[in-house]
Amino acid sequence: METDELLLNMGPVHPATHGVLRFKLRMDGEIIRDCEIVMGYLHRGTEKLGEMKTYLQFIPYTDRLDYLSAMPNNYAYVKAVEELADIEVPLRAEYIRVLTLELNRIINHLVFMGSLILDLGANTAIMWGFREREKALQLYEMLCGARMTFSYMRIGGVREDLPEGFIPKLNDFIKDMEKRIVDYEQLINGNEIFLLRMKNIGVINADEAINYGMTGPSLRGSGVNYDIRKLEPYSIYPDIDFKACVRKECDSYARYLVRMDEMKESLHILRQVADTMPAGDIITTQKYGIAPMTGAPSAVMTYFPRIFTPPVGEVYTRTEAPKGELGFYVVSDGTTKPYRVKIRSPSFCNLVALPKMIVGLKIPDLIAAFGTIDIVLGDVDR
Amino acid sequence: MAWISKNWAMTGIMKGLIVTLKHIFHIGNRPLVTVQYPYEKMKLAPRFRGRHSVDQDACIGCGICEVSCPNGTIRIVKYNGRWFPEFNLGMCLFCGLCVDACPMNAIKMNGGYELANYSRESLVYGPERILFKKEVNK
Amino acid sequence: MIANAYELVVYILSAIGIYDPINGFFQNYGMEYLLRIIIIVVEIVVLLVFVLLTVMFLSWLERKMFAWVQSRYGPMITGPHGLFQPIADGIKLVGKEDIIPAGADRWIFTLAPFIIFVPALLVFIPLPFGDSLIISDLRIGLLYIIAISALSPVSILLAGWASNNKYSLMGAMRAVAQDISYTIPLALAAIAVVLYVGSLSTVDIVRAQEGTWFDIIPRWFIFVQPLAFILFLIASIAEMGRIPFDFQESEQELVAGFYTEYSGMKFAMYFLGEYAHMFAVSGVIVTVFLGGWTGPVLPFIPVQITSLVYFIIKTYAVIFFAMWLRDTVPRMRIDQLLNLGWKIMIPLALLNLLVTSFLLTAGVV
Repeated sequence: METDELLLNMGPVHPATHGVLRFKLRMDGEIIRDCEIVMGYLHRGTEKLGEMKTYLQFIPYTDRLDYLSAMPNNYAYVKAVEELADIEVPLRAEYIRVLTLELNRIINHLVFMGSLILDLGANTAIMWGFREREKALQLYEMLCGARMTFSYMRIGGVREDLPEGFIPKLNDFIKDMEKRIVDYEQLINGNEIFLLRMKNIGVINADEAINYGMTGPSLRGSGVNYDIRKLEPYSIYPDIDFKACVRKECDSYARYLVRMDEMKESLHILRQVADTMPAGDIITTQKYGIAPMTGAPSAVMTYFPRIFTPPVGEVYTRTEAPKGELGFYVVSDGTTKPYRVKIRSPSFCNLVALPKMIVGLKIPDLIAAFGTIDIVLGDVDR
Repeated sequence: MAWISKNWAMTGIMKGLIVTLKHIFHIGNRPLVTVQYPYEKMKLAPRFRGRHSVDQDACIGCGICEVSCPNGTIRIVKYNGRWFPEFNLGMCLFCGLCVDACPMNAIKMNGGYELANYSRESLVYGPERILFKKEVNK
Repeated sequence: MIANAYELVVYILSAIGIYDPINGFFQNYGMEYLLRIIIIVVEIVVLLVFVLLTVMFLSWLERKMFAWVQSRYGPMITGPHGLFQPIADGIKLVGKEDIIPAGADRWIFTLAPFIIFVPALLVFIPLPFGDSLIISDLRIGLLYIIAISALSPVSILLAGWASNNKYSLMGAMRAVAQDISYTIPLALAAIAVVLYVGSLSTVDIVRAQEGTWFDIIPRWFIFVQPLAFILFLIASIAEMGRIPFDFQESEQELVAGFYTEYSGMKFAMYFLGEYAHMFAVSGVIVTVFLGGWTGPVLPFIPVQITSLVYFIIKTYAVIFFAMWLRDTVPRMRIDQLLNLGWKIMIPLALLNLLVTSFLLTAGVV
């Protein structure tokens, strides 16, 4: 029987595209013959804004890249500037940073799990994910006063010290999470329909994944042991006991399992960090920093100079954000503002591999594969 | 279909059904957690970054907050013969850089998150709305 | 022996002693058929009100259960525990602008939502709510139910076609494909029961399930025909179009499927139609497999009332299961669903039919 190809526009406004993304699908019935990704609907010119703002002022903008995991964005930028200016960070600040980073990894994966299951049509898990996320957000609110756009990292340290009663609350959260993860796994992992939808769907093998520049859990789901925390250890990760989670199946289910494993691994890291939190400064007093103002009403507040000029040079740093490799390329021309800021965002690089995964499959498979790549449109379009 | 011959017992779905049943009847520490928002509000952390307020006595109108703001939210305006910051919250990122930058520790960000309004003009919080007088403990 | 609701009304009126005077009054004018019409109209109005109230309650229950599973409260403000929320929703939907897309076929687009309500309500005619609480005991009751409920994809196809939207059309096509592949196992599973009873009448089917084995196990067909029950249940959930088989809507893939373009009152019609259908299908499951209205007979209470209560309890148990399942499982893929229907359920149903007829012929059961 002769059939016409159908051009289907999925998005920019569609329930399953997680924001404003558009797929131009050439369909043969329900089978996808070709997929073109049209992005840029959320472009805000963040990189250009980086050239317009001082080093300190750009930190709040990094919150808005991947708004589900703002802390790793903060950290990646701050780390780049620190390497540029060769700033030593106090040990306590590094511990607090890793604590917030891993907490954010859990938040990100909770939202990932919820939205993936929602995309597959089961509506329950998303609220469970948000229920636990709320507890983590309350921890963040205690710590830095914001729930999503933290702007908590500062060049040379962090903004505020841990508040009183933070560590006990964190321990409560860890204990609670461990029980909840059992619930998630009971609901999802063995579910036959879920397996039917996820196994052998969206397969991308290791070579292709590397060629497309995939990173993070999506790449580790294809059996490549590529975790920047291990390969190029930064901060206090060398001192911490954890393992990179890898699965060999290359399909959507493997990518999902990697993230569930990572959540447990992050809890493990959190427990270690909370137990061995050292005392000390939370921001550098080295050459740019000034000690917290004495006699100020809120002594927890740290002070870093507004006008900060790193030496001329350029730097590219990469960190393991929850979604993959997050890199910041910062060029300094010796003034108070960067000459150029380039962001290598994990969502963008992972997203371009999607057409490879789904050509020849059906629309529901597109949704499933798309969900396991775990993108945030703020990160894709910047 | 090989799938059904392996999975005819649907044990995974049974497990899932048990978990959801536990949630329906709140068995085993699975309570209802949401709050009835407009009638019942959650407690905010002391560090919560909400609407700004400026200490009337401490502020010297130096304009450092104006310079440090990444988004051009703050403008220094004259009010009762003195200079005070004016916040256009429609542009505010609530990043707290002005709080950090204030040399007199005059700016506070606390409480106030219900800021939705009908016009852009009403989002401009002038000194008449943000100033407060600190109570002196003797 | 009171056969249906009309005779029940006549019996009650005669018992009070006012049937003869009223009948006589109409006979004076030679219009005794008018009384029959009035009684039947009253019956239908009562049924309609009952169904609409149930549908409202079901939409509240659905939201509430869904909320509990998710650790939420659900609707709480309108009425005690948000019980009047469906009314508030209805008022809101009536007040919405009624949008007809520019490219739509106006007549069919407007007509389709009303067509969906017709099969959902007609199914109730041969459905026994209790002993003698039945509008009409058709001799082909079960066949009638299966035939009528197979009409609902007509409305969905009309809606999907008239909307002139690719997503709507895909949703409608899926609905039709799904309905065709699931009506067959539904009917085949029911035929096994019909063979056992020897009648298509719903009342006969329920009467055949009266009594118990060893004074403990009720003689429900779920115990006689467990495989047929499972097939019938799965096919019914597919017919209702609910998760894991809600392909006509499949929100995440097709936006909202066939009712993507609908708004306001027409959307509400689809919404109500869905729940009415759900109630009807659950009632059919109860009638065919779970003993219908049968249950222990209580002293001093008329059997009509107790049987109605038993029927409603059983129906709600089935509805609870459907809602519970919805809260747990994801949606299947359309081709997997069709595979399940054609390659597994139909052969199994045929096998079940073969074994049943063999056993019946051999006189084993």
